Amino acid sequence: MKQEQFVTRYQHEWQQFEQWLQRRGGHARSVRGTVDADLPGDETIPQRYRRLCQQLALARHRGYSPQLVERLQQLSQNGHNLLYRTPPPRWSRAVEFLFADFPLAVRSQAGAMWTALALFAVPLVGIFVLLQLKPDLVHMLLSTTQIAQMEKMYDPAADHLGRDSGTDWAMFGHYIMNNISIGLRTFASGLLAGIGTVLVLLFNGITIGAVAGHLQQAGFGEPFWRFVVGHAPFELTAIVIAGGAGLQLGLRLLAPGRMRRIDALIEGGRVGARLCLGVAFMLLVAAFIEAFWSSIAWVPMWGKLTVSGILWTLVILWLWRGGRGSAHAH
Amino acid sequence: MPAGAPMLDTYREVITPEGVPLQLPAAGPVPRALAWLIDLLVRFGVLMVMSPVLLALGDFGQGLYLGLMFLMFWAYPIVLEVWFGQTLGKRVLGLRVVANDGAPLGWMPAIVRNLLRTVDALPFGYAVGLISCLCDPYGRRLGDLVAGSLVVHAPPRAAEPPARIETVLAPPVPLQPGEQIALIAFADRAPALSGPRQNELADIASGLSQASGAAGVLRLYAMANWLLGRR
Repeated sequence: MKQEQFVTRYQHEWQQFEQWLQRRGGHARSVRGTVDADLPGDETIPQRYRRLCQQLALARHRGYSPQLVERLQQLSQNGHNLLYRTPPPRWSRAVEFLFADFPLAVRSQAGAMWTALALFAVPLVGIFVLLQLKPDLVHMLLSTTQIAQMEKMYDPAADHLGRDSGTDWAMFGHYIMNNISIGLRTFASGLLAGIGTVLVLLFNGITIGAVAGHLQQAGFGEPFWRFVVGHAPFELTAIVIAGGAGLQLGLRLLAPGRMRRIDALIEGGRVGARLCLGVAFMLLVAAFIEAFWSSIAWVPMWGKLTVSGILWTLVILWLWRGGRGSAHAH
Repeated sequence: MPAGAPMLDTYREVITPEGVPLQLPAAGPVPRALAWLIDLLVRFGVLMVMSPVLLALGDFGQGLYLGLMFLMFWAYPIVLEVWFGQTLGKRVLGLRVVANDGAPLGWMPAIVRNLLRTVDALPFGYAVGLISCLCDPYGRRLGDLVAGSLVVHAPPRAAEPPARIETVLAPPVPLQPGEQIALIAFADRAPALSGPRQNELADIASGLSQASGAAGVLRLYAMANWLLGRR
């Protein structure tokens, strides 16, 4: 077939496809339910796209002019981008992710999670106990200014706990910016063969252990515990999960198993991204609790402990049972 | 072009499920760094503009400001790359982020490639990312490798070259696609060259135009007109 005949025969189809892309391709939601009489129906588009691809292949094979091939290529590329575009996020999907997929993802990486827990909790508890026995060691771990700042934050006489300035809202923003960034970096640094994540976990464990141990030993323990027990369930768990996400990524670089290293990493990245979404959510909740509940000085110890106990139970139940029997479980 | 031997280039060719080859011209570190710089300025600009408004709201505004800072830092590239395929900086530079197979970028890859900036930015000034970019045949940084994504040039479609002369002349023999491209490119670019150089180039194709010198140039223009469908 000559090029002219080819163009005359299919020109109309191409124009219709082009117009459809322009008028209805942009926003699926806004055009849903409406009808454009002079355009082909939405349901015919995949089929028309495949026809177009076949015509493009024919045009290439027969050596038609580069302009025609270029035009068809452009058209099919636009069609490709539309048909394979990312579906818009849905709220129901987000809820399902939070209650089922995220706990499942955490449990699917159980080994990495337990390792991260050990890397974080062992130095924390170890340093805490050590400082009860040898209080002077704190000067090896924290600088004098840090110690003074900590003692000021948890002064039993202060009317606000756990901060030296700022109100609830300002601190909420601060915790979001600070804590979530740390959580996300903990995961990302796992790409350095896991070393980055290990260091972050150890460092955090040691620092938190040193602060808690020192304050406990110096007699500031009561306000300190009253401040931290509320948000600890979400914050500490989130740090461990972010660490686990980083460790599994690093492990895939070191031991890719039966996959190519790059494929193993891509798989690990996908798992890690899902875990990070959950971690960001947990740290958001933790920031909220920390800003608006933990800082209330008049709530007595037993009140804080009760709430903390409930939250710990909820977090553990959520991560342990969440998503059982759902369609995504394997 | 499929005709002839493959040229040495940074094109990544992928085949869509429908069997159509897509050519993805991978972008190198320099345009990407410029795009990143523009993004940085945009983000700082937004924060600068918003700060007096928010700080006027007192402590509540300060909280909002920090929340906005978080969104600008982490969410800005992720959301824009998923919704539009490009951040503002990439748009200015004509870049686009796509998946390895040429499909639009999904949420998880976008999250991965932007979270892993942390590693690419080590130890300073994206040094790790630059090394990875220079080692990879498609200029991907570590975040791109793990996300399975690719930054490509997506220039606006080139306008058809304007007609040089009115005459139209059919080539005496059918031309191969590569030859057609060469002829059209000649008609597009020759006017920017000096007269003697135009003649010199046109003389290479004197077998086709059956003329030499200025007459050959005009004949080639006329044939380009015919090829471009101005008949």
